[in-house]
Amino acid sequence: MKVFNKKGFAALAAVAILAAACGGSSTTGKTLTIGIGLPLNGSALASAGPARDGALLAIKEASIEGYTLVAKILDHAKEGAHNPDQAAADMLTFVGDETVVGVVGPFNSGSAFAQIPVSSEAGLLQCSPSNTNPNLTKDLPGAEISGSDLREGRAANYVRVATTDDLQGPAVADYAYSNGARNVYILDSTDAYGKGIADSFEAQFITAGGAVAGRDGLPVGTTDYSAVAAEAKSLGADAIFFGGVTSDGAPLFRKALDQAGVGALPFYGGDGIFDGTGEGSYIAISGAAAENSFASIAGSQNIPGKADFDTKFMAEFGVAAEGYAYAGYACAQILIEGIKAAVAAGDVTREAVRSAVVDKGAAFETVIGSVTFDSVGDTSQKYISLFKVENGTWVFADEVDYTGK
Amino acid sequence: MSAAEATTTVPRSSAARLPLTIAAFLAATLFVLGLDQFINALTLGAIYALIALGYTMVYGIIELINFAHGDVYMASTFVAMFTIQTLLGRSGAIESIPELVIALVIVFAVTASLMGLAGVVIERFAYRPLRRAPRLAPLITAIGVSFIIQNIIQFAFGPTIVSVPQIIPISWSFMVGESRVPILNLFVVAAALILMAVLQLFIARTRTGRAMRTTAMDRDASALMGVDINRTIMLTFLIGSALAGAAGVVHVLYYGNTQFGLGFQSGLKAFTAAVLGGIGNTAGAALGGFLIAFVEVGASSFGYGRWGGGIVFTLLVIFLVFRPTGLLGSSTGDRA
Amino acid sequence: MMARISARFDPSRAFFARHRSLGILVGVSVLGILLPLITRIPPFDGIQSTNAWVNAFTTATIYAVLAIGLNVVVGFAGLLDLGYAAFFALGGYTYALVASPFSGLAFPFWPMLIAGAIVGAIFGVLLGAPTLRLRGDYLAIVTLGFGEIVPITLLNADKFTNGTNGLGGIDKPSIPGILQFTLTNPWPMYVLVLIIFALIAMIVFRLEDSRVGRTWDAIREDELAAESAGINTVIAKLQAFAVGAAIAGIIGVVNAAKITIVAPDQFRFIVSISTLAAVVLGGMGNTIGVATGAFVIYLFQSILLKQLNTLVSNFSIPILSEIDFLDFQYVLYGIVLVVMMLRRPQGIFPARRRKRTFDDQKRSA
Repeated sequence: MKVFNKKGFAALAAVAILAAACGGSSTTGKTLTIGIGLPLNGSALASAGPARDGALLAIKEASIEGYTLVAKILDHAKEGAHNPDQAAADMLTFVGDETVVGVVGPFNSGSAFAQIPVSSEAGLLQCSPSNTNPNLTKDLPGAEISGSDLREGRAANYVRVATTDDLQGPAVADYAYSNGARNVYILDSTDAYGKGIADSFEAQFITAGGAVAGRDGLPVGTTDYSAVAAEAKSLGADAIFFGGVTSDGAPLFRKALDQAGVGALPFYGGDGIFDGTGEGSYIAISGAAAENSFASIAGSQNIPGKADFDTKFMAEFGVAAEGYAYAGYACAQILIEGIKAAVAAGDVTREAVRSAVVDKGAAFETVIGSVTFDSVGDTSQKYISLFKVENGTWVFADEVDYTGK
Repeated sequence: MSAAEATTTVPRSSAARLPLTIAAFLAATLFVLGLDQFINALTLGAIYALIALGYTMVYGIIELINFAHGDVYMASTFVAMFTIQTLLGRSGAIESIPELVIALVIVFAVTASLMGLAGVVIERFAYRPLRRAPRLAPLITAIGVSFIIQNIIQFAFGPTIVSVPQIIPISWSFMVGESRVPILNLFVVAAALILMAVLQLFIARTRTGRAMRTTAMDRDASALMGVDINRTIMLTFLIGSALAGAAGVVHVLYYGNTQFGLGFQSGLKAFTAAVLGGIGNTAGAALGGFLIAFVEVGASSFGYGRWGGGIVFTLLVIFLVFRPTGLLGSSTGDRA
Repeated sequence: MMARISARFDPSRAFFARHRSLGILVGVSVLGILLPLITRIPPFDGIQSTNAWVNAFTTATIYAVLAIGLNVVVGFAGLLDLGYAAFFALGGYTYALVASPFSGLAFPFWPMLIAGAIVGAIFGVLLGAPTLRLRGDYLAIVTLGFGEIVPITLLNADKFTNGTNGLGGIDKPSIPGILQFTLTNPWPMYVLVLIIFALIAMIVFRLEDSRVGRTWDAIREDELAAESAGINTVIAKLQAFAVGAAIAGIIGVVNAAKITIVAPDQFRFIVSISTLAAVVLGGMGNTIGVATGAFVIYLFQSILLKQLNTLVSNFSIPILSEIDFLDFQYVLYGIVLVVMMLRRPQGIFPARRRKRTFDDQKRSA
């Protein structure tokens, strides 16, 4: 809560939000709502807050003739982290509100597993700014649960603007290999995101010709990383990969490596440690030890409307746009375009909005560039950007385009 | 002197064997783990041992599993952070030795005394009113206190991991063969051992220490003999919490970070240490702390870190079920 | 004082005391109909849709059943169980393993309710048999350890449990040819959970008044005396453990079928503690009291605190909008536990038999 400027948000929210507080009973039939379902307290807020604000900004800017567009925010974080139970319950609330025609969210793949069955049954369109778990949409061989299990065979109602982990992990692996890493030590946070990205990293790194010095996992809440750091050192690792997010302990591991005398080793991670420089961020906690760390982020850095968006965002919230603000804005843009198409066709139903987005086949022009969805809702944008910590801040290092691969 | 020896909790035969057993154990682990991991385990063990002492002392004297103790430890890391950053205005390592010594003395003194005070307050308002209540009542209260402390800290300092300046330079070290031995680790282990030795002497040699031991054995009889029970119990909480405070200081010096949620896991592991050593037995708690650390570090050094917590809790269950008196035996009779 | 008031003759109370099962049926039916109706009137209708309310009531009732089960262990037999969520997890995984894409099996839901109870009871006995000889506070810690070990095992034994992702896509219940439960229509699940609640409450009431129930009373009040009176305390405690675990197992199955995904993180310590807080708040030993406690605590945290968050952030109230009211749920549990133990250990709704115990204590204190 301290991480983020809430005043700016609150001021905007007071204008934009009507339904949530004053009562959905006052709907006139002319009100359309975009739900925003994200984890918005505790340590989850630092990453998901910008996505919410991006979406709010897009909703505020939109004008649809004959309708009032409002936002309805539900926060499904518990104990400072996303909570799948609450995420599913919140989705039911969105479903129960007839004015909700689309939802921005969720943020974490774990919550998406719980939400998609509900939204799919209701045919309610949702767009995630950040979900990267491939099994949410695809039917991959060997996966215990697949996109069609979640949808129970129905047409897709879930799209996402982030490309999947099955690309992010490998992109980091390829990058690390080309950077000279040959013998990597891998630690994961034992949860869905951390273990998933570490697995895909490990597979690609071996394919690329590298070796895995060791692999272990320590759950969130671990305080002592000195033993795994010493292990990485004794195994002669020349690079480190951490699968997990900042609050899982990435900076603690980084500091422990530093204390074990191997702080100079390059430290690779996924988007889970790419969280700016604010309070509670990977860089803030690791301090000087953060140097020579690398992180990936799903999406291109060649954001066409970046300068314009940054100005608008700053004017609205008084803080700089960062992280998932662009993706949140893009998601809301896509939903709004779907709503407009439905309005133009004179058929303002959830199904019409869903179909307008998922079945469009053509590109949406968004702040992050043009986005086309395939039949299961995955984005055509298969960019992975890589960042490096230099002098206490994230610096763009490389971009990989997996389109067509 | 002879009176003190007569009440020593460790049977004499095992007391003689104990140093040998410990030495053999240390040699074996050093051989298996290598020096780097051995030092890591000793350092972690020192922290567990300091926390475990508070559990075991309180349990010894009023038979309460002081569930809030882990959170007292957690809170102390924040007090230490506040002292370092705000009172001393430090933001990095202190290279000058005299300055460092002064800073360390201040941090330890402020944190230990504040946490000691906190322990006394908790005892006075949350546990003392329930001293004659059914046994589960204070235990439930302790769980409640634990949650309250966590939330106070979360409100005050936020939910994220926070970084704390490490005032002892982590670059200070010397080499033993291939291994780098940081001064910081040696300091942590030495500080813990000194505190434990002082505690042992205090309990064995002073009048107050004797009062604590007799109260643990038979509260009513001690009261009849003129021991001020309330004062003795208060002192036990004071010392136990002050030691948790010292552990908290050590935590921020060593790890350079803290978070509001670390009390539960660390507390549970330290409690396991106390049970392993024989609850109520201060030497046992120290021993148990080191044992738990060796188990955890051992698991990580063989690539089984993800099972570390599970192994520790399994040990806890096994010991409670099959040997509730722990390795060294407990101080009071009616366990199990 | 309280004892005298409640002992006063009250015809309706006397009737329901004699026909307790009927009382539960009537009570559950009336409340089950009234609650959704209430949500249609302001201000409740503005907070969320009726369907979302019904869904919240369903979850609250699941927690109420959980509290009833824990109350058998804590309130009746006087054994503190700090790892109760483990049995809830085992029930959920039992169903998930035989009715999800992970195993490819599709066992029907209804018999699995019994299976969940049996699995729960088996693990209850397995945990209880070696540990129940231990003193109360040691037992508490053993159960706490068990409560930690179960999720860690579920997390790391990925081959059998799919690890951290949990088991998703769990089959929803159906009555073949008549009714298929869905996620967007909460009503069938609501009715099902109410029926299960009523059945379990009836069974627990019968147990309380049976020979076993009186044995539990005796053990709780004075174990030594009970033993000298010829009671096999270990068997009696095991029975309490098994019954409590079986109830958690059943409702675990229902919970898994309701949210269609089970993952290790859903069954952490906090679930055990919030259930315990419900039992302490409602009044240890009072079945209806603890159920009410759980129902209220769940609605309080999932509706009221959440609503406060939305309100303050929408109306831009300075200072308040910096506070996250959801965080208050933990301090709330803490305060409930401390204040209740210090000020009103018998709970808001004291159990008939326990009331006497606590009165005795006051006198002797």
